[in-house]
Amino acid sequence: MRSLRPGPGRGTNDDDRILPLINVVFLLLIFFMLAGHLAATDPFHIEPPVSASETEPDEAGPVILVGTDGRLAFDGKTVDDAGLKAALVAPVEAGVTHFRLKADGGAPAVRLVEIMELLRAAGVRKVNVLTVPKAL
Amino acid sequence: MPALPTARLSLAPPNNGRRRNLISLTPLIDVVFILLVFFMLASSFLNWRSITLDSPKQTGRSASLEQALLIEVRADGLRLAGETMSLDRITSRAVAALAKKPDRPVLVRPDDGIAVQEVVQVVDALAAAGVANLSLIRRNK
Repeated sequence: MRSLRPGPGRGTNDDDRILPLINVVFLLLIFFMLAGHLAATDPFHIEPPVSASETEPDEAGPVILVGTDGRLAFDGKTVDDAGLKAALVAPVEAGVTHFRLKADGGAPAVRLVEIMELLRAAGVRKVNVLTVPKAL
Repeated sequence: MPALPTARLSLAPPNNGRRRNLISLTPLIDVVFILLVFFMLASSFLNWRSITLDSPKQTGRSASLEQALLIEVRADGLRLAGETMSLDRITSRAVAALAKKPDRPVLVRPDDGIAVQEVVQVVDALAAAGVANLSLIRRNK
């Protein structure tokens, strides 16, 4: 085992020995900064449905979350049906026509339809259901 | 003019044999590690895609249903116009029907107990075949 105390040879300087480590850590840091994108964490976990769709979703517009058990969240806040209805009024009046629906793949489809009916009643015409591509 | 402290910035090795750093690297590494952990935990690598659907008309209006192509997703299979058939067949039938009357809406009606994933598969196949006027409805209560 190599001593951590400065010994003879190349490792006389502590900093020289950790420089490669810093290089790697910097590379990792840059990778994660560029490759991933920061997003607000959802209030509950969603396993999105898999689809072959290639359409990239609009980044704009509020997100409605539907959990496996039919739980709802609007823009990061857990709501019930009445709460969602109330929360929809402001964006619809502001002219938002597209809503993103992030539903769990295991959620009951009838529940999804219920929510879409609610959106329709609020005046929303188009709904983007968010999916993920099939894993390779 | 006072003499500039050139000894610190000199590239020549200092006489004690050890290069003295301008900044100590340890706090830097600490910060970089913290940033790294932050980005590792906070960034998401999910590659989102979307399917655009029309929001459904309120159920209970049969007039719109008569015009439309109704695809039922049931636990025992898919049905188009009351006939159980495979997804491929439904897709080709839908495309053929829409070729005659392009503005006909296509409705997908999932039964109770059908998961979103199964409906997405059906909608996917239809969208891939070029069906645009898609929406989901549910059974009348």
